[in-house]
Amino acid sequence: MSLLEVQRLSKAFGAVHALDAVSFEVQAGELYGLLGPNGAGKTTTISIISGLLKPDAGEVAVAGRLFWSDPQRAKRNMGVVPQEVAIYLELSGRENLEFWGRMAGLSSGEAKTRAAELLEALALTDRAKDSVKTYSGGMKRRINLGCALLHRPQLLLLDEPTVGIDPQARLNILEFIRGLRSSGTAILYTTHYLEEAETLCDRIGIIDRGRLLAEGTLAQLQERLGGDRVFVLEADLKNASPGAWSGFHERFRVIQKSDRQLVVAAIGDGDPSACLKTLLALPVRVENVTLKRPSLNDVFLQLTGRDLRE
Amino acid sequence: MLLTLLAKDLRRAWRNPLPWLINLLIPLCITALIGLAFGGKSDGGALGRIRFAVVDEDDSVLTQFLRGAVNQGDGAKHLEPVFLDREAALREINDNKLAAVLIIPTNFTRGYFTGSQRVSLELIKNPAQSIHPAVLEELLGAVVTGLNAIARNFQSEFPEWQAVFEGKGDYKKVSQLIERAGDKLKAAKPYLNPPLVSYTKEVRVEKPPGTNTTRAGSKASKPKSGPDSSLFGYLLLGMSAMFLLFIASNGMSDLHRELHNGTLERYHTLHERLLSFIAGKMVFTMVLLLAGSAVMLGGGAVIFRIHWQQPLALAVLTLGYAGFAAGLMAALAAAMTDERAANVLNNLVGMGLGLAGGCLFPPQQLPAFLGKHVCPLLPTYWFVETVRNLEFGGATAPWLLAALKLAGLSALLLALASFLFRRRFKAGLRA
Repeated sequence: MSLLEVQRLSKAFGAVHALDAVSFEVQAGELYGLLGPNGAGKTTTISIISGLLKPDAGEVAVAGRLFWSDPQRAKRNMGVVPQEVAIYLELSGRENLEFWGRMAGLSSGEAKTRAAELLEALALTDRAKDSVKTYSGGMKRRINLGCALLHRPQLLLLDEPTVGIDPQARLNILEFIRGLRSSGTAILYTTHYLEEAETLCDRIGIIDRGRLLAEGTLAQLQERLGGDRVFVLEADLKNASPGAWSGFHERFRVIQKSDRQLVVAAIGDGDPSACLKTLLALPVRVENVTLKRPSLNDVFLQLTGRDLRE
Repeated sequence: MLLTLLAKDLRRAWRNPLPWLINLLIPLCITALIGLAFGGKSDGGALGRIRFAVVDEDDSVLTQFLRGAVNQGDGAKHLEPVFLDREAALREINDNKLAAVLIIPTNFTRGYFTGSQRVSLELIKNPAQSIHPAVLEELLGAVVTGLNAIARNFQSEFPEWQAVFEGKGDYKKVSQLIERAGDKLKAAKPYLNPPLVSYTKEVRVEKPPGTNTTRAGSKASKPKSGPDSSLFGYLLLGMSAMFLLFIASNGMSDLHRELHNGTLERYHTLHERLLSFIAGKMVFTMVLLLAGSAVMLGGGAVIFRIHWQQPLALAVLTLGYAGFAAGLMAALAAAMTDERAANVLNNLVGMGLGLAGGCLFPPQQLPAFLGKHVCPLLPTYWFVETVRNLEFGGATAPWLLAALKLAGLSALLLALASFLFRRRFKAGLRA
């Protein structure tokens, strides 16, 4: 069942097109990653889905019903974890959870019980009474996440929930999110970290400059580059022109070319050693050739001509 | 939900009390400053009796006559002279027990009557007080003017008067002198009486339709137990009204912090309407305002011994005014995107409403257009003028109507703030 359907969503701020006809779906128990650099339109997408922004065009449906037909009902079904730590630093972790539970419509008793459960799940029980301002960055992020879960939402929107925290804290949060997925929660997860998208998400949508350029499972996206073979050539390529090399374009797709590096994907099921031979025979002085599995960054490179890490 | 929101804000304030304590301490300091500026404690909120010392180093019949005069009639109601030697008087003024010391120097009488030398009186004012010494200085100025006028008009008779004051005149001479003085005063009568300029103090009395305004002093219209007029109460009330606007500005600027921290946005992801959140913040600010009012008006009552005549009406009006102040600042917070700019605007609006609403000056003293046409439309005026009429005007005032107007305006401003915030979100507040 599709818990979130986004249809041709568009939004402009003056002359800037933040979103341009973005469409995707998230199923129950699915973790959908929206991968893109800063300014790609990820936060705008989440803001529209959560009702903070109104789109210029397009529709959002939550649990089968259009968002704007009954926004309050849609909001009851979702939990939103904003990119910034949107909690009260003067209050303790428990008080924050209880407060947001009450705001989500729980009774005082329910909020207390649920807060205790979440503190346990987030491994924060021993610091529950401490003021949040004394927490580490990772602990604040965990409370920030927990505050969206009090009312057990069917759909969870996570806007870069691991920004600015150490690797161990990130692993803890990612593990917690995997647990939520296995409990049947539909999750929309925005990130600009390739590794998170690759290791965490069931399906990934690649977004850049407001446009959803590609989507699918990691394997499907890798397939776009020619299965599991990408070659990286290091050479003096200043005056090289791959278009002029005889037969090159029949066997390889150029992903990226710079003065020092050429990244290509093999077309078809050719033997890797044969591909390597062809590359070494090119009319340039090759210094090094590497064979690797295509990453999401390679997909992003192919789609945008830019490195996601730039 | 309001209670949960209020509890959250109170907890936050409790954990980080400094900004809020400053909010409450400012009015307390202002009240204390007014108290110090106006000479500390006063009786019944009026100026009270002015205690001062007379050091009579001349000790003549004339100076004894002057000493006796300040203890007579109306003077005794307002003046409390004590007669001390110079050393004791200076000691008391150092101990802040006196408003001033008047020193009549040796040979003052002789010098005055003979005109042989310029005579002067010495007034030492207490620097720790401001109003009472100033009043004494004015009074002394009047006395000096009178003595000069007498000297100019009776100079030819001064030797005889001097003999009288030195105990050398006989009764016949005294009676002749008095008769001549009487004749001179009679000749001056047309110039002195009736006075060319006079004033009548009017008291505003709530009148039934169709009746004329009545004047104070007429037996029929005099209230049975009219409240005391109080300069301090009058000033304190106006200043409190203005400071409550500034406290409200500080309280509601927490909305900017909620926006900045993303917590208002987070609330909006749970609730389509923002009314409850803004109302919660308003209630929190109103709690601060009521605490501030208690500090200013209650503290003022203690410092100035003001007896608030109608505490219930004052409390209801203050509640209504607190709602208005919080609502106004909520609407301004919603309209302004930048917190710094909002703070500047809030202060300007607070000052403007305070000045134009008659908080610092009586509305009658404002420029005619402002006083007649603008002032009555301002909520600050509704509050301040109603309370002043109730407490110091010797009249009943439609306080419930004023409180309802303030409450109605609060509700409108709350709705406006909620609408403006939603509009800002939809337009891309943080995108």
